[in-house]
Amino acid sequence: MSYYYNEAFENPDYHFSETLEIDTNRRSQRNLLPHQNLCDSSPYGNNREPNGRRENYSPAIPMASMRHGSEYRESFSLADVQTRSPYGKFHDNRSFEPEPEWAYSPPSPFHLLDGPSAPSFSSASEEEKLVENLASMSTRERIKAIQKMPETMKKKREIRNNVLREITEKSGRRGTQFDCCTKCLRRTEVSFRRFRNSLSERFHQLWLWHKTLKIIGGEFGTSVLSYFIFLKWLLSFNIFSFLINFSFITVPQFIAAEPNNLSFTGLELLTGAGYFQKTVLYYGFYTNAAISKTENGASYNMQLAYIFTVGMYFVICLLILLISMAKSFCRNFINPQIYSGNASKLLCTWDFNITNEKAVKLKQKNLSTQIKESLTDVNKEVLNYSVTETLVHILIHLGAWAASLGTAVAACASVYFLAINNLELFMEGHKNDLESQAAMLVLPIVASLLNVLIPFFYSWLGQLEKFQNPRNRTYVTIARNIILKISIIGILCYYWLDIVAASKSQCWETLIGQDIYRLILVDFIFCLLGSFFGEFLRRIIGTTIFVSLGMPEFDIARNVLDLIYAQTLTWIGILFSPLLPGIQMISFFIVFYVKKVSLMKNCQPPRQVWRAAQMTTFFMLLLFFPSLTGVLAVIAVTVWRLKPSEECGPFRGLSSMFAAVSEWIKILENYTGSKWVVWIYNNLITSELFFFILSIIFLIITYLYWQIIEGRKTMVKLLCKQIVNVGKDKVFLLRKLHLQQRAKQNPSVPRGRDQQRRSSYHPSMQRSQQEPSYLGRTFDRNQNASYNEYPYSAGILKGTGFPPDLETSQPSSSPGVSEAVALALRARQAAQWED
Amino acid sequence: MGGAGSLLHREALREYQELTFLSKQEILLAYKRFSELLPKEQRDNACSRRVPKSRILTLPELRANPFQHRICRVFSTSEEGDDSMSFEDFLDMLSVFSDSATPDIKSHYAFRIFDFDEDGTLSRKDLEKLVNCLTGQGEEVSLSNAEMEQLIQNILEESDIDKDGTINLSEFQHVVSRSPDFVSSFKIVL
Repeated sequence: MSYYYNEAFENPDYHFSETLEIDTNRRSQRNLLPHQNLCDSSPYGNNREPNGRRENYSPAIPMASMRHGSEYRESFSLADVQTRSPYGKFHDNRSFEPEPEWAYSPPSPFHLLDGPSAPSFSSASEEEKLVENLASMSTRERIKAIQKMPETMKKKREIRNNVLREITEKSGRRGTQFDCCTKCLRRTEVSFRRFRNSLSERFHQLWLWHKTLKIIGGEFGTSVLSYFIFLKWLLSFNIFSFLINFSFITVPQFIAAEPNNLSFTGLELLTGAGYFQKTVLYYGFYTNAAISKTENGASYNMQLAYIFTVGMYFVICLLILLISMAKSFCRNFINPQIYSGNASKLLCTWDFNITNEKAVKLKQKNLSTQIKESLTDVNKEVLNYSVTETLVHILIHLGAWAASLGTAVAACASVYFLAINNLELFMEGHKNDLESQAAMLVLPIVASLLNVLIPFFYSWLGQLEKFQNPRNRTYVTIARNIILKISIIGILCYYWLDIVAASKSQCWETLIGQDIYRLILVDFIFCLLGSFFGEFLRRIIGTTIFVSLGMPEFDIARNVLDLIYAQTLTWIGILFSPLLPGIQMISFFIVFYVKKVSLMKNCQPPRQVWRAAQMTTFFMLLLFFPSLTGVLAVIAVTVWRLKPSEECGPFRGLSSMFAAVSEWIKILENYTGSKWVVWIYNNLITSELFFFILSIIFLIITYLYWQIIEGRKTMVKLLCKQIVNVGKDKVFLLRKLHLQQRAKQNPSVPRGRDQQRRSSYHPSMQRSQQEPSYLGRTFDRNQNASYNEYPYSAGILKGTGFPPDLETSQPSSSPGVSEAVALALRARQAAQWED
Repeated sequence: MGGAGSLLHREALREYQELTFLSKQEILLAYKRFSELLPKEQRDNACSRRVPKSRILTLPELRANPFQHRICRVFSTSEEGDDSMSFEDFLDMLSVFSDSATPDIKSHYAFRIFDFDEDGTLSRKDLEKLVNCLTGQGEEVSLSNAEMEQLIQNILEESDIDKDGTINLSEFQHVVSRSPDFVSSFKIVL
């Protein structure tokens, strides 16, 4: 096709700039330094060659592999370029391959360095260097580095084969005295790697819902997809928790099970009481004895199993959440400075996941309206509100906040009194009739109703408030919903820990477990009803009765908050009902399918650009901060402070659940082999001093990092300024260059290629400022050369119409050099003044 | 098709695994999809065949994509310049768009896809074409000239760090590095 990269060569301006490049090539070869730093300004450029993207490799690769993981990659790579350049190395970009005609030119002494096989100036030697670099890496690193090359498969394969050849040669040179031990090691390494690869492939196959997720992404884009991925993630948490609880707590309990003589009516499925009271579902059923199959055989201590399983699970949860949150933070919140990037977001806004034609059309339409809106917004910002208007706005906001907080408080109060009422009823009756069972369901139904209905009120409030920025409205609504959910859960926890635990019931832990079971079940039912009424009926109404409403959008924030709420309840309940994660697992599984069907049938993609990655991070943070930390606090209070019930559960008769551990340690003290456990317990777990020192160390580290971040921020600012200055330098130089060019060109008679060039390229000051075209770009690539005299002098020489051969054979210490240096200095001064 | 003829050679498979970001399953799936694009009699040695652009664009993953022509252009190594794709080109493409590709390589190729005139920078014309692709060509969706002008001005103001009127690769990557959604949205899964 006509415009492959070689087409660029037809452009006379490229000829122009290419000579500069050739000069730089030679220059760089004189240095014979590895070209690792070029990279960033344009590895892209080096594809400019007749055969498209094949014959080149990006010199950036080894560099990339070395600095991967750097958050400030971009700034630092620029920094590289800036700081190293002044005199030393020439940062050659090899943006332009030498033209074919150049291949026939007599090779200069420098080219001889490349050896006779060098087809073009330096690519061979650079390739050798690259191959060497790669050969010195470990296998894993090498594979990664090759994968990262922006090259065709053919080229990559070539490089890989070269590298492999190099390695075998090297090892051959080193002699064949590899003893069989090394060989053996190498072989095991290879087979281990193969094994790991196949293992990861197996895991990949197990990847649940690959196809479904793809369809969802294809129709609704990444934002809605993020909800489902979050759901899947929570599901895996629950599966994991269910598996360990089931295998370490429930299975041993089955061995020591007592017969259950309560009748099963079916209604228990809903209330979780009655028959289930005496099953492995609840804390109360578990034994406190050491289970052993045979007399005098090894026994299984239920108390320790219970406390350690739950404890380990929470520690693992905490670590997983912390790690994934930190990763997500570091990936998604790396804006060191304030950045009002709306327009530039456009550059990376297209969602390549979307494959559905209708969805593409819709997305395009949404984008277009958004662009238009944002453009008018920019214009509107100039408009100021008067004082009274601002006051009215503030009053409305205050009123809305008061109303939302008021409803939250009212919701809490109603939940609290209902709960107390419920407890009384339960304490009194103890009869298993329908009435009391129905009464038990009142509390969860009310809580779920509040959870479902109040968010609608909040979103109505949000519309009433008339936020200027729709994003603010979303954030405020989310904040209010979080407050509501936290306060409902908080008041329930207070009720459980302070009132139920102190009540005279036979087994308060089971009571709490039942409460949580009912809450989770009813919440699940409401979730199903919500997708029926909220989405299905809404669509029927929207498409038939009030057509202007249209199809509903999938409300990601509300749905995610519901998930977080359910997960929090499950976490709280684990201690009181170890099999709760199993129930939650089933319900999440069903929710996934229901939501998917409802989404496909009823919803349309969200209109706003939803910053999915940042929101996912934010939701993870929510799951961590109020949710998991709150749960940990509740669990800690239960384990350390509360007295377990006297007649049921694994901890009956103890002063607190943790007492089981201290008693175990006391037993261990008698065995010399396990002294270290005792030591760890005494000196680390129960000692305040250790935690004090630990937290001080953490604080110091945090402070140090904080300081480093501050330092980097200023560094980034300085570098940005420097880039702007360099840009100004460039513009100034270009202007000068054009002036000179014009001055010198006018008298001379254009010949040959120069004539062509001039006919298509009329340099003028005006144009060079507005769009410094190809020439500007060349300079741009060379800017890291920081006014190295060569390109400039070459440019001037070229501009004066010297034939190219003459020019390259000229020594670079021509008088033009000093002139150019002076110009560059002046340019710098000018830039500083302008600044 | 079917039987050993349509399967990839084991060595080749391992090599592809080393050279791309794709897993074995993904490569096999890609092979299956690729050979389905070929006419029946050519399927036996799909690796050495080229699929014309028109066939490539029938893939559901690319059919609706507004950048489909650019994607074909960028990833094709065809010497005739007809944008046809060999199996290796196809794998290259999937590798870049895969989950595990690094942000660097993704942004590199995104830049090349958006560089419509292939001159190595995103000029105003490229940006205009890009915006047109993003908004579609319909009557009510396309932007007016003034809007386009302002939009491009805004984009350049924010992302053109060295103020040369165009966005070069490093500037582009700079912008992209601040948009965390890019990696998850610049993705095509078979």
